[in-house]
Amino acid sequence: MTTIFAKLVDVTRCDGCRACMVACKNWNDLPAAPEEFKGSYQSHDKCNAFNWNMLTFTEHEAEDGRFEWLFRHSACMHCTDAACVKVCPEDALHYTEFGTVNTNYDKCVGCGYCVQNCPFSVIELAKYTDENGKEYEKAQKCTMCIDRLREDMMPACVNICHMDALVFGDKEEMEAMALERLAQVKDRYPNANIYNPIGVDGTQTFYLLAEPPSVYGLPENPKVPTSATIWKDYAQPLGKAMLGVTTMAVIGGFISNKLFNKQGQEGGDHDE
Amino acid sequence: MSNRQQTVKRFSKWVIIAHWTNALAFFALYITALPLYTDFFSWMYPIFGGPENLRLLHRIFAVLFVLPPIVMMFVDPKSLFHWLKQTLTWRKEDIMFFVKFPKEFFGGHVKDMPKQDFFNAGEKLNSLLTITCAAMLIGSGIVMWMPHLFPVVLIQWAYPIHNIAFGLSVAVVVGHIYLSLGHPGSKASMQGMTKGDVPVKYAKEHHGKWYDELVAKGEIKEEKPVKKGKGA
Repeated sequence: MTTIFAKLVDVTRCDGCRACMVACKNWNDLPAAPEEFKGSYQSHDKCNAFNWNMLTFTEHEAEDGRFEWLFRHSACMHCTDAACVKVCPEDALHYTEFGTVNTNYDKCVGCGYCVQNCPFSVIELAKYTDENGKEYEKAQKCTMCIDRLREDMMPACVNICHMDALVFGDKEEMEAMALERLAQVKDRYPNANIYNPIGVDGTQTFYLLAEPPSVYGLPENPKVPTSATIWKDYAQPLGKAMLGVTTMAVIGGFISNKLFNKQGQEGGDHDE
Repeated sequence: MSNRQQTVKRFSKWVIIAHWTNALAFFALYITALPLYTDFFSWMYPIFGGPENLRLLHRIFAVLFVLPPIVMMFVDPKSLFHWLKQTLTWRKEDIMFFVKFPKEFFGGHVKDMPKQDFFNAGEKLNSLLTITCAAMLIGSGIVMWMPHLFPVVLIQWAYPIHNIAFGLSVAVVVGHIYLSLGHPGSKASMQGMTKGDVPVKYAKEHHGKWYDELVAKGEIKEEKPVKKGKGA
């Protein structure tokens, strides 16, 4: 077992500069994906196929009535028990040696099951056109810059963050760091908490949040959808077993008919 | 089997067409679904020109699968509703059927089987399961095909439902095919689903109530008691 790596997002340090978005676009060569202006400083509604990470700008009123900007670097959470990996029928989504979740574009057929099951809705399908003019789709999301990790470099977003709001390293160390920071910011942010949800066995992108998760547009108790669990952990294996059982019953019926039903035609009656 | 055997009409031409269209579509769907169901069948992708083509074929056959009951509603509603009515009507003799049937399934000969309807209890159960599975498969299939029209929760549940119905329907079909092809004396029932008529003897033994109705209506002459030891 290799070391599990994680990205800690300390939102209390973030100043909303968006350098992480730019660095990500640059390194991963992602095209621009403009959205219309919706009356907010926030550039996009949420992460999408060509915006693997983006900054959310939440206008928040603190308990003492003070106005606050809450910034949050949002990207794929890299769940330890990832719904997308569970439902992917082609094994395109998989866990890497760093504990992160990655997409194998050769295997992805653009079925979109991952999109429908991600509890954080960060994964989306990107449309492409091949040289014959045929359209096809692939699931796209943050890769935690796996190509950089393999070269002993940090993810591009972490590398550029001038406030150290993004830090990357061994997950245990990051967790210790998060606890340390939590103690430091408690008097300034009494609602501060660490967001590393157990419903998905923790995430490899986890947060130190200044306010409850819902304030930041994060689900309070994200989990792998029950339907996905029933589908992949029960229905599918049971279906395979049932195929076996019926097949055995039929073979059994065939053999016992051969053995005991010697009159053959005289019996003759059966019912579908 | 002698050619001079007295037969009686069982299924209309449309019922036969609908049945085999459904069967064809089911198998095409089954085959195109296998690699989606388990990696064990991934080798089938190249045969069908890749996963995308396979998924497209699956949808084309899905349309074929949906068509028969709809077409039946226009061309032969009488047969369709007779089947539905029978399938949904359950009496004591239908329950008794399942008490006696296992013995027969494994090669025994049941002498005191209660008289069965036009569709015997086994066929009724098969129809009921088929209808249930088809409803689940088609309903969830539509949601999966056009996810943008439905809420996320519905889409998420469509997958396990499609899966469960798939497993169940395959189990049903395996039993159905075995009983129509593999079991001794199945020729008569197969004849019913290919040519449309069945021997009167078969009607009497398997569908006693229907046989009695036919005799009462004067559509057939009463079968002479079968002499022991002589084949049909």
